[in-house]
Amino acid sequence: MANVQLKGVGKRFGDVEVVHGVDLDIRDNEFIVLVGPSGCGKSTVLRMIAGLEAITEGEVLIDGQVVNQVSPKDRNVAMVFQNYALYPHMSVFDNMAFSLKMRGMGRDEAEEKVREAAQILELTPYLGRKPSELSGGQRQRVAMGRAIVRNADVFLFDEPLSNLDAQLRTQMRMELRKLHMRLATTTIYVTHDQTEAMTLADRIVILKDGAIQQVGTPIEVFEDPDNAFVGRFIGNPPMNILKGVYRESGGNRCAMVGKSCFPVVEGKAASLTDGASVLVGIRPDAIKMGDAVDKLPKEWLCHGEVVLSEILGGQSHLEIVVDGETRLIAEVEGRVVAHPGEVVPIGFEFDRMVLFDPESTNTIR
Amino acid sequence: MREASRDRIKAFLTLLPSMILVGVFVYGFIGNTIWTSMTDWGGMGALALDPEKNFVGLANYVELFTGFLGSGFRQDLVNAVYYSLMLLGGAVGLGMFIAILLDRKPRGEDLLRTIFLYPMSLSFIVSGTIWRWLLAPQGGVNVLPTYFGLEPLTFDWLSSRSAILVFNWQDILRILLYGVSLVCILAGVAVLRKNRRKAMRRLASGVAVGLFVWLFGDVVPDAYMMREEHGFNLATLGIIMATIWQYSGYTMALYLAGFNGISQDLRDAAMLDGASAAGYYRHVAIPMLKPITISAVIILSHISLKMFDLIFAMTGPDNAETGHPALNMYLTTFRANEFATGAAIAIVLFLIAATFIVPYLVSQYRERGRR
Amino acid sequence: MKKALLSLTMLAAFMLLLVGCGEAPEKKEAPAPAPKAEAEAPAPAPAPAKGNDLEIFSWWAGDEGPALEALIDIYKAQNPTVNVINATVTGGSGVNAKAVLKTRMLGGEPPDSFQVHAGQELIGTWVKADRMEDLTPLFKEMGWMDVFPEGLVKLIGTDTGIWSVPVNIHRSNVMWYIPANLEKWGVEPPKTWDDFFAAAEKLKAEGVVPLSLAQNWTANHLWESVALASMGADNWDALWSGDLAFDSPEGVKAWELFGKVLSYTNPDAPSLSWQQATDMVIDGRAAFNVMGDWAAGYMTTTKKLEPGTGYGWEASPGTAGAFMFLADSFGLPKGSPHRDNAIAWLKVLGSKEGSDAFNPIKGSISARTDSDLTKYNAYLQSAAADFGKDRVVGSLAHGVAANETFMGGFASVMEMFINTKNAEAAAKACAQLAAKSGI
Repeated sequence: MANVQLKGVGKRFGDVEVVHGVDLDIRDNEFIVLVGPSGCGKSTVLRMIAGLEAITEGEVLIDGQVVNQVSPKDRNVAMVFQNYALYPHMSVFDNMAFSLKMRGMGRDEAEEKVREAAQILELTPYLGRKPSELSGGQRQRVAMGRAIVRNADVFLFDEPLSNLDAQLRTQMRMELRKLHMRLATTTIYVTHDQTEAMTLADRIVILKDGAIQQVGTPIEVFEDPDNAFVGRFIGNPPMNILKGVYRESGGNRCAMVGKSCFPVVEGKAASLTDGASVLVGIRPDAIKMGDAVDKLPKEWLCHGEVVLSEILGGQSHLEIVVDGETRLIAEVEGRVVAHPGEVVPIGFEFDRMVLFDPESTNTIR
Repeated sequence: MREASRDRIKAFLTLLPSMILVGVFVYGFIGNTIWTSMTDWGGMGALALDPEKNFVGLANYVELFTGFLGSGFRQDLVNAVYYSLMLLGGAVGLGMFIAILLDRKPRGEDLLRTIFLYPMSLSFIVSGTIWRWLLAPQGGVNVLPTYFGLEPLTFDWLSSRSAILVFNWQDILRILLYGVSLVCILAGVAVLRKNRRKAMRRLASGVAVGLFVWLFGDVVPDAYMMREEHGFNLATLGIIMATIWQYSGYTMALYLAGFNGISQDLRDAAMLDGASAAGYYRHVAIPMLKPITISAVIILSHISLKMFDLIFAMTGPDNAETGHPALNMYLTTFRANEFATGAAIAIVLFLIAATFIVPYLVSQYRERGRR
Repeated sequence: MKKALLSLTMLAAFMLLLVGCGEAPEKKEAPAPAPKAEAEAPAPAPAPAKGNDLEIFSWWAGDEGPALEALIDIYKAQNPTVNVINATVTGGSGVNAKAVLKTRMLGGEPPDSFQVHAGQELIGTWVKADRMEDLTPLFKEMGWMDVFPEGLVKLIGTDTGIWSVPVNIHRSNVMWYIPANLEKWGVEPPKTWDDFFAAAEKLKAEGVVPLSLAQNWTANHLWESVALASMGADNWDALWSGDLAFDSPEGVKAWELFGKVLSYTNPDAPSLSWQQATDMVIDGRAAFNVMGDWAAGYMTTTKKLEPGTGYGWEASPGTAGAFMFLADSFGLPKGSPHRDNAIAWLKVLGSKEGSDAFNPIKGSISARTDSDLTKYNAYLQSAAADFGKDRVVGSLAHGVAANETFMGGFASVMEMFINTKNAEAAAKACAQLAAKSGI
C-alpha cells in the first residue's frame, strides 16, 4: 500500500530522449492506466518505476521515499509481464513461491501464502504443473499469482492481456478489476488498448512521444480531451475531426464545416474570433438517428447520405456524408437499418462538440 | 490415408541411403567388433591373409578384468573414470563460470569470448605439445611463482608417481555395490518430498544393499587373485588441466548461447522477485539450461572416453600413470597384434559410453511419449 | 496400403538391379587372380603394375632422412627409369608407421618394400603370417652369406628362410658418460653393476643423478642391458628360445637387479625424451646413461662433442664381450606390386656401396664385415670392431628377440613393475606373456 510520485522523470538512451519530464501523482490504492501508441514510452516509465531501467532525469518516489538508487528487489513492487515471464523449469507452486523463498520466508508460511493466492485465482488444481502444461489464461493467472503472494506495495502490469484472445481478454479484464477491488493495491497498468484503459482505470494517463497528453478519469478524457490526439486515441470508433472555420454574426456562433453550420454552444470557445480556422471534433456517439433525433433541438438536425453501415448487434456504425462532402462516422443505438445510398435525417449533440486549435491541436475551451 | 502413406514411403526412401550406410558402417562394424572380441584373433599369424580365428566366448573380457596381464588395462580404466569425472566437473564448472562472467556483459566481451573459445580450435597434438612443455618439471607452470619472487614449484605434473584415492582391485565388486547403494539412497532423497512411497522403497533398497556388503562383504567374491592397487594418479592432473583448458571454452559457448536465449523479462522477473545475480543463476538460469548441461556432459564424457591424441602427445604411449583405454586399445591392436583383445577393450569403452547416453535417450523418449 | 507395399517392393528390386548392374563391369575390369599363382602361395597376385614405380615404406624422416636419401640416390643412378616413391610415416621407432603398414597389409595393398626391425618383430608379425618372400636365393646370388656375420643371419632368419636385408647395425648395451665430469666427481666408468652402485652413492652425495632415464620405452631398453648383465648371454638366448623360464630364479634376479638400478634414476623420467636424458649427462646433472648408439650420433652431430674425448662410452655394466644388436632391414612382401624394382632396391641395401653410404650418415655400422671403416667416426669404428669379435645377441626393446605380442605385453609389465617394484610378479607376468606369445 503506497502512493507513487514521478517528478520530472526523463529517460534518454544515448542521444535519444524517449521520456520527457513526466510528472505524475498516483494515490494509494489507485488503479492507473498508462496508455498510448507503441513507442510512446509507457513501458519505459513502468520499468523505471520498477527499477529495471535507470532514471536519467527526475525522481521516482514510492511512499514518499526517493527510490532512484534503490535496487528493484528492495522497492517492494511486483510486476506482471506481457509474456508472463514464468520460470519454465518450475512448477506453478514454485513459480509463485520463488519470491518468498528469495526473501527467506519459511517453507510452511510460503506454502500457506501460495495456497491462499491460488485459491483466489482458482489455480489450486494446477499447482503441480509446469507452465508449459497450462493454457494462456492460466499462465496469466500464475503471473498474477506470483505478484500477489508478495503483498507488494505496488503492482505493475506491462500489457498483461495482449497475448490472450479477445474473449479471454474481456474475461480477464473483469477479473483484474475484481482483484483490485479485493486487494486494493496501488496498480500501474500499461496498455496500448484504449478499451482496457477505459474499463480498468480509476485514472487514465495518455502518453505520446514520451510526454503526458492528459491525465483524468475515463469520462473526463472521453468527453473533454485536452487535445486532438487524445480525442482520436480514446474512444472507438475514433472521434470525427473535421477542418472548419469559426463564424460569428450577431449571437449566431458557427463552426462552418463545408457549407454546414455546426452551432457552438453558449460559453464554449469564447476566445475565438470570426474567421479563425478550427478543427471540429465530434464523437461518433454524438450523432443520432431515428427516434433519438426527436429529442434534439431543430437547428441541430440535418440530412445525410448513408455510404456504409456496419451492424454490430447492440449498436451500428455508419459512414455518412453530409452536404455531399463531409464524411462522418456515427455510432448509433440499436439496429438502425439504413441502406447505402439512402438519405436519412440525422441529429448532432452539438453540446458535446469539441474545438481544437489547428496549429497546436490543443482544445479551445 | 493414401496421402499419408505416400508421404511415409517418400520419407522412408529419403532415409534409406543413410540407414544403409549407418547400418553397415556403424552397427555392422560394432557387431563385427563384438564378434572379433569373442575370438582369439591375435599373436602369431594374426596378420595372415586368412588369419585363424576361434570363438572363445568372453575369455578376452575375463582376462582383461581378472587376468594377470590385464593389470595395465585396469589401471587405464580407473584413470579413464577419474579423468572423465574431473574433466566433466572442471570443464562444465569453469565453462559455466566464464559464461556467467561474460553474461554480465563486461567491456570487450566479444574479444574475451573469442579468446576463451580459441583453444578449442587447436588440434590435440598442438595443445598437448604446448602443455607438455608448460608442465615439464622445470617448465612454465613450475617456474611461474618465481616471477612473483616465490620459490618455484616442484610438482611433477606429468611424471608424478603418487596416487590418491587408492583402492584394491580385489574389492571392485564390493565398491560397485556400495556405489549402487549410494545411488539408490540419493535417488530416494531426491523424490522424498514428491513421492514418499517411492522414496521409501529406494531408500530401503539402498540401505539394504549397503548393509549387506558391509556385514557380509566376504560373500562377494574377490575380483582378482591378489592385491592390486589402483588409484587416481596425480600425473593425470596435467592432462586433465590441458583438457579442461581446451574444452572450457566450448562449454562456455554452449552456456553463453543458453544464457543469451533467456528472455530479458525472465531476468527482470527474477530481479523483482528478489533474486540477487547469484540467485538468478543458481535458481533460474542454470536450472533452465539443464538440457545444455546434459548435452555438455554427454559430449564431454564421450570425448574423455575417446581421448587419445592429447595423452599421446603429452606423455606418450606406455605411460601407465596417465594411460587410457583408448591408447591401450590402439597399442594392443596395432603394436602387439592382439586384435581380439583390442576389440574387447573397444567394446568395454563402448559399453561405458552407452551407460552415459542410454539413460539420456530413455528419458528423452519418455518425455516425448508424455507429450 | 497394399499398393504402397507393392510399389515399395518393386523399387527395392529396382535398386538391387541397379546395384547389380553397377558391379558387373567392375568385376570384368579387375581380372580374378590367376588360379596358378593362388595355388602356389595364398597371397594376392601382384596387382597389374601401373607404371614403373618403387614404393619404399619407412619411418625415416628428419635426422635419418638424408641417410635414406643417400640410398635412394644410389638406386636412382642404377635404375634411372624407376620412379621412386618415398612413403615415409613419421614417428619414433616407427610407432605410427607400423600401424599404417598393418592396415595396408590387411587391406591387401602392400608397399614394394618396407622397413622393419630385423628379427622377431618381422618374423612374429609378417613371416608367421606368411606375408613375406624368402630372400635366401637373393642372399646366395649376391654372396651375402659370406659377408654378413653368421650369428646375424641366424637371428634375422628362421629354419625356412631369410626374411630381410639388414641395412645397419645399432648397439643397444652402451653406457654413455662425459669423461671430464667423471674426473671432476672422482668416479670411474663402472665395469659391473656393483661398481655402479658404489659409484652411485658417491654421485648421490654430490647431488648428481647416477643414471639418467627417459620415458617408458627407455626403461625397457635399460632392462635388457641389466638383464643381460644379470643372466649372461647364454641364458639370455635361452630365455628367447624358450629353454629358460622367465620366472626361473635367473629371471627373478634380473628384475630384482633392475629394481635396484631404477632407484638410482631420476624421478621425472616419464616426462623426458631420450635426448633430454642424454642432455642430463652432457650438462652434468647426471653421470651415466644407458642408450643405444644413436646417442653417439646425437652427441657428435647435434651436440658437437668429440667421440672419445668429448664423450665416452663403455659396454653397459656387466655386458662387456656381448654385443646386443638391433637392425633396421627391408623385406619383400608377397604381392609386392613392383617386385623386380623391389629386388633391385634390396640389392642396393645389401651392397657394400649402399651400406657405406648409408651408415656413416645414420650413425650406425654396416652389417657387412667388409665395410670401409675409414668412412666412419671413432665411435663407429670401435663398435664395428666389437661387432666383429663380440658375442652377438638380440635386443628385446627393439624387436630382435621377441615378437610384437610379447613386446606389447612387456610394456605393460614394465609399467606394472615401475609402480609396484614387485620382481616376483613381473617375472611371473613375463612367463605368462611368453606362453601367450609362443616363446
